[in-house]
Amino acid sequence: MEISFLDLSLANVAFLFVVGFVGGLVSGFIGSGGAFVLTPAMMSMGVGAIMAVASNMCHKFPKALVGSIKRHRYGQVDVKLGVVMGITAEAGVLIGADVQQYIREAFGKAGSNLYVSIVFVVVLAIVGGYVLRDAIRMYRSTEPDREEAGRLARWVQSVHIPGTMMHFKSIGTDVSLLFIAPLGFATGMLAATIAVGGFIGVPAMMYVLGVPGLMASATELVVAFVMGMGGSIKYAWSGFVDIRLAMIILAGSLFGIQLGAIGTTYVKPYMVKVVMGVIMLLVLLSRGIEIPVYLSDLQWISTLAPETASRLSTVSFGVLILALAVGAGIVLKALWAGRRDALREADAASAAQFSPLPAESAGDQLSPHGRLSRILLVTDGSEFSDSATQQAIALTRRCGGTLHVLSVVASNPEYESLAQPLLEKERQTALERLEAVRRSAARDGVECELLLRHGEVYREIVSVADESRMDLIVMGRRTGTDLVRVMVGGTTAQVIGHTDSAVLVVPRGGYTEGSQLLLAVDGSRHSDAAAALAAAVARQCGSTINAVTVAPDEGAAPSARPVVERVARLLNEEGVKSDARVLTGAPDVAIAGEAERIGADLIVMGSHGRTGLDRLLVGSVSERVIGRVACPVLVAK
Amino acid sequence: MSKKSGALASLLMPGLLSAVLYLLLYLYSPLILEWSGRGGWYFAIPIGIAFLFSIVHGTFTGRFWDVVGIKANPLKK
Repeated sequence: MEISFLDLSLANVAFLFVVGFVGGLVSGFIGSGGAFVLTPAMMSMGVGAIMAVASNMCHKFPKALVGSIKRHRYGQVDVKLGVVMGITAEAGVLIGADVQQYIREAFGKAGSNLYVSIVFVVVLAIVGGYVLRDAIRMYRSTEPDREEAGRLARWVQSVHIPGTMMHFKSIGTDVSLLFIAPLGFATGMLAATIAVGGFIGVPAMMYVLGVPGLMASATELVVAFVMGMGGSIKYAWSGFVDIRLAMIILAGSLFGIQLGAIGTTYVKPYMVKVVMGVIMLLVLLSRGIEIPVYLSDLQWISTLAPETASRLSTVSFGVLILALAVGAGIVLKALWAGRRDALREADAASAAQFSPLPAESAGDQLSPHGRLSRILLVTDGSEFSDSATQQAIALTRRCGGTLHVLSVVASNPEYESLAQPLLEKERQTALERLEAVRRSAARDGVECELLLRHGEVYREIVSVADESRMDLIVMGRRTGTDLVRVMVGGTTAQVIGHTDSAVLVVPRGGYTEGSQLLLAVDGSRHSDAAAALAAAVARQCGSTINAVTVAPDEGAAPSARPVVERVARLLNEEGVKSDARVLTGAPDVAIAGEAERIGADLIVMGSHGRTGLDRLLVGSVSERVIGRVACPVLVAK
Repeated sequence: MSKKSGALASLLMPGLLSAVLYLLLYLYSPLILEWSGRGGWYFAIPIGIAFLFSIVHGTFTGRFWDVVGIKANPLKK
């Protein structure tokens, strides 16, 4: 079959970028599929239906992967259900793509265009109408966010077919694969036909299987990735993917999707559905107007006069532009108005900070590195932060002052727009655990200031610590080998990498009285900062410092010795007792071994504050030491 | 380095990389299209490009709005 690629003029590129941006904007705003705008837009430019669907699908599936990893972090993805549906959807995609190719071979480009347009009209009429009805229900309802499993879902969950049952965490019970397979298949068929399978997938999961809406839309991303990649490979195998179109759309779409998600945080929930419904019905109209042209091309109706066909195509294109303009207009207006109101209330928001730094807080200490008067405890309520809480309370009692306690509810604009009730519940839980820390501290005579933030966890911690000029952040550390955590780095490692404050990492069950200190130095300014901090702790606790440095082997030990001896001499001159040793081997192994040998209850070391690619390539000794030892580690910056 | 210039620097890296990728796509588009059009095992070319662009450009746009100051509503109840 002859495959021809469209000549791209500058105007075409600009149009695709704008369409991609608006499609992304709408996608980010309504939570799914901007493809119902993108496929017709490409067709309006003269791209054949099959290539429009193929290129659209190819720009979408890597986005779905990124999105599903993001939402997996919030525990919204049922991976098992996503993979099972994805595999059955794959079958639908393969057959759907075969149907597409068959129609194209049998009826030509006009036949293929007619088929896609008719499916669009039918699906958009049903889904668009339903969405608008739902928007009206939400507008009138007193409890618009209430969700309950429908009668159909309850029946599906009650059917037991031996040998086909599988348990899904999102449904909370066993469901027969015989119900899931056809749903996946239909999702795949639709995706291969119009590149928007989510129109069937999400409602099917919600209304047929009884998956909560939030989990359904997140799990759909896994389905979209699995089948999108399969479908794209299938189309690419036949040479139908125009990667230029896909990537230009992606360029605009990724800008739009972020802005759309931000936009949702400024509007009422029913507004999202109004926008979705209105755009769907306008796109339906646009495709519907074009149908007589395709019918005429196929000579299934009396041939239209060329000027009539051209006029219909122009009107169809105009309606599509109107749909895009309406969608973009509503989202941008909501964003603009919302931002203006939010800025007005910025003063109120800024009140959500800890009390400012008092002038006398520096006391009689000169070095900012040795100061431990403003302590920030970060708690997530898990068993991993229990020990950190006890440590922070004890430290504040010893150093005097007020303990600042922070809890962060993990969220992002997308999550906030989709999961308001869930987010509110998490806020309540976080507030309760902050109060529990306050009560626990009060029993030890320590006063607390509490603060709750929401956003990306490590960014919020770093921003609070920096804004409120904290001397020390006290936090726990998680163990385990969750793949995603290893890939992106744990919160503790990210905080150490980005903050300007010192960080005390307390493992589960760890506690320090500061009686046996191990100071690890490498001659950098960061380890001088660690030495100043260790000196402050040693003075408080009246303990001796065991200063060490690490040489790669015995041969290099003599040249490393002056590094640690210099630090020990300076500490002794300041009146802090210390001795010096040179260890050999891998730094993290040697330091952890020495800590165990001397029974250290606190390791103090500097951090080079590596982040991003640098951290990935070079690694962080402090991070590896933290992972190896059972005692708290104090990281100076 | 201040936080703001740090954020700008973290935006510039993926931004530049993304621009270079799009420039390469523009310069080599006849060759890429010829390969894509052949189908068969050449499918790996458009699929690989889609993955690469998505990661690089996605990282860039993810930070873009934050750096220009458009953020989610912090006051939403």
